[in-house]
Amino acid sequence: MGLRNRFTTGENERAQQTVFGVRKETVEGIAWSLPYLAVFSVFLVWPALKGFYMSLHNWDPFVPSESEFIGLENYIELFNDPVFWDAMKGTIYFVALSVPLLVLLGLGLALGVNKNVKGKTVLRAIYFSPYILTVAVVTLIWSEVYSEGYGLINYYLGFVMSDPPGWLTSTNLAMPALAFMTVWWLVGFNFVIFLAARQGVPERLYEAARLDGASTWRAFKDVTLPQMRNSILFVVIIQFILQFQVFAQPFVLTSGGPRGSTDTLVYYLYRSAFSQHQYGYGAAIGYVLVMILVVIALINFKVIGTND
Amino acid sequence: MTDATTEQTSRFDDVSLRSLGTHAVLYGVALLMAIPYLYTISRSFQPRRYLTDPQPYWIPPEITFDHYQYLLTESLFVQWTINTFVIAGGATIIILVIDSMIAFSLTRLDWPGQSIVMGVILASFMVPYYMNIVPLYTVVSDLGLVNSYWGVILPAVASPLGVFLLYQFFRDIPDEYEEAARLDGFSTFQIYYRIILPLARPILASLALFMFVYNWNAFLWPLIVLSDESAYTLPIGLVNLYQGNITTPGLHMAVTVLASLPLFVVYLFFQGEIVRAVQIQGTGTTG
Repeated sequence: MGLRNRFTTGENERAQQTVFGVRKETVEGIAWSLPYLAVFSVFLVWPALKGFYMSLHNWDPFVPSESEFIGLENYIELFNDPVFWDAMKGTIYFVALSVPLLVLLGLGLALGVNKNVKGKTVLRAIYFSPYILTVAVVTLIWSEVYSEGYGLINYYLGFVMSDPPGWLTSTNLAMPALAFMTVWWLVGFNFVIFLAARQGVPERLYEAARLDGASTWRAFKDVTLPQMRNSILFVVIIQFILQFQVFAQPFVLTSGGPRGSTDTLVYYLYRSAFSQHQYGYGAAIGYVLVMILVVIALINFKVIGTND
Repeated sequence: MTDATTEQTSRFDDVSLRSLGTHAVLYGVALLMAIPYLYTISRSFQPRRYLTDPQPYWIPPEITFDHYQYLLTESLFVQWTINTFVIAGGATIIILVIDSMIAFSLTRLDWPGQSIVMGVILASFMVPYYMNIVPLYTVVSDLGLVNSYWGVILPAVASPLGVFLLYQFFRDIPDEYEEAARLDGFSTFQIYYRIILPLARPILASLALFMFVYNWNAFLWPLIVLSDESAYTLPIGLVNLYQGNITTPGLHMAVTVLASLPLFVVYLFFQGEIVRAVQIQGTGTTG
């Protein structure tokens, strides 16, 4: 890496140049890194550390210096807070509905398009397109599709059943409806990654498998899946992380209802901090979220493994 | 001989039948995915009385531009578009400049501690963005940046994604280019500007488009930091409009179309670059 291992004359001269007794290249290296490191420190590293500090306080948003140190009390309160557990259940339910579908549908579409199909570019363009929409647009579009009175789905369901359900007003259906909408929105992201990964599998591996008389299923299990392992791991982890932080869908469409059935952790964090001004409590929820996500990432690494 | 022919024909039939099935499924999914778009566009041109009719009209029985006209003249839509453009564009430009600088420094210059710096940046990927919002808000608020463009831009610029992508790409550029340039007396800045950046043009374009789309669409952070209606970005303005006028579906559909239009135009022209930015993230190869 870098210029370390090069011993041309020019390099030796350069390496010996100094500024105020410090190697010139060191000064340059730090100077070139500084703009990003400044922003990174102030707006990412510092808040991450400050968040832990805040979570140990009964944080006063108006006079922070007056905040009272309360140790782990925010965390203890959290674990005894029924709304927190409802939000946790809602989040896990949402993740359980959306992540498998996002991964499997993305993989299925990628393997399909990789075959000898006509119009690959058109298919790719359509599958990926919802990903470039903002979640605000996605929720507005689907509010019309799901609408009980004049929604698209219920109009056609009306032909086969007498009383179509209210998709966003039923405690049983609201969360699945939000999850399905999310799959529509994000599946293209996984699809293009899987497509690139599948195209990167050397064709000779399939020829070898064919010569060994392997069935399509065996070729999939023994060639495709292991070869795509790193990408599958990436997609699964990133989807767990993203979907665990679901916020806008319930915020816009259901306000966490009906009867708390679509409440989620980030939505509860948002309400605690920005509606009820309990900053310390909100920061504590944030930290619990991180710990959950780290554990999930580790489990994924263990189960799926990597090629390296 | 006859047997062999029959076998071949039947295998051919089998293959084409399966291929037909694959096509049917793939195009079926594509159609299902496109339906919400078509429905939305159609409804954005329909007068109110058709919109609240339980029966959907795919082709508007009567076309109106009222919803669009209202948005462009009676709402802050234009202001929101400008805000979004400035924020997404500003963040993208700053990301390109400072991320390429640090990636250059980490891969092409040699200084003590650079591997630790890269390690910290990599580790920051484990910090989910949303968990940081409460302390981040206090930081941004202490700096007096609430309701300002900078309050949205600077946290967006802190994202490690661009550094990571450019680091991978810069690392793989062969040393020979740079050595030749050094012998010709190029300064460090000239190597960065005249050797590395031109070689990295494709990945810089992908990163730029991805970051532009990403920041155009950002939701939670702008929602928190922009409380003044005239400072909203499009996603926040949209939701505000929706929650304020829950019974005007035509307006919602028109604002959806208008707000997505700029990105769809970008997507139409630069689909390859945006897709590649995603693929590089997921497969770790720049090829």
